[in-house]
Amino acid sequence: MTWRYRAPVSKRRVLELALIGLVAGISSGLFGIGGGTVIVPLLVWRLGFEQHRAHATSLAAIVLIAVAGSATFATDGEIDLEIALALALGGVIGAPLGARVMAGLDADRLKAAFGVLVFIVGAGLVIR
Amino acid sequence: MSVALLLLVAGAGVIVGIFAALFGVGGGLLMVPFIVLALDKGQHLAEGTSLLAMIATAIVGALAHARRGYVDWTSAGVAGVAGIAGAIAGAVVALGTPGEVLRRLFGGVLVVVGLRLILSSRVARNREGSAPSS
Repeated sequence: MTWRYRAPVSKRRVLELALIGLVAGISSGLFGIGGGTVIVPLLVWRLGFEQHRAHATSLAAIVLIAVAGSATFATDGEIDLEIALALALGGVIGAPLGARVMAGLDADRLKAAFGVLVFIVGAGLVIR
Repeated sequence: MSVALLLLVAGAGVIVGIFAALFGVGGGLLMVPFIVLALDKGQHLAEGTSLLAMIATAIVGALAHARRGYVDWTSAGVAGVAGIAGAIAGAVVALGTPGEVLRRLFGGVLVVVGLRLILSSRVARNREGSAPSS
């Protein structure tokens, strides 16, 4: 597999990765988020991942987390298939666009803009 | 749901997907509030639906990065498998928490995450090239 990235695996590294995954999973199941906001900074801080690698690896881990989380919500009927399909369809179109932008761009200013957006939306949820 | 509304939702999905791939987030940070605020659904349904939609966006995002060799599959596997246990536990707690409490808590988390994104982007700009150490 040409797309396999080298991974020096020590016991400590596996333990740290498992802990990162666990924490991300809990916040993901609790709030319906992917856990990337937890995984990415921890991969960078604890395991020395470079930003792009941390983002990419985080997305791969999120696949498993999202399957487990949504399945649990589904047991209580708390999913809407129509909305999920529409969002996913749009997301599938948008994700490669984002990755392409990221490969050639310093995303720093976008990151700040994203932060402002998240902040405003959060405040909206609190005061609603 | 009407076709127009579905198109609106799909359009929101495109924007979420772009952000998701850009920042390595699954997109839930934006999908949950979108479903609650724009589609007027409950917090629990928004969370479950966001996670379901995220499966597809995360797969496509991860594959797009994988093509450039950015994915560390071993690390993702270890974190992901541990994450499965965490996700089930987190979702069980969420389902046992009243929607309004959960919504306010989530909003508070977003406010903090938003602030951190803004601050860390400035830090990154000042340190040009070096990984942020906190």
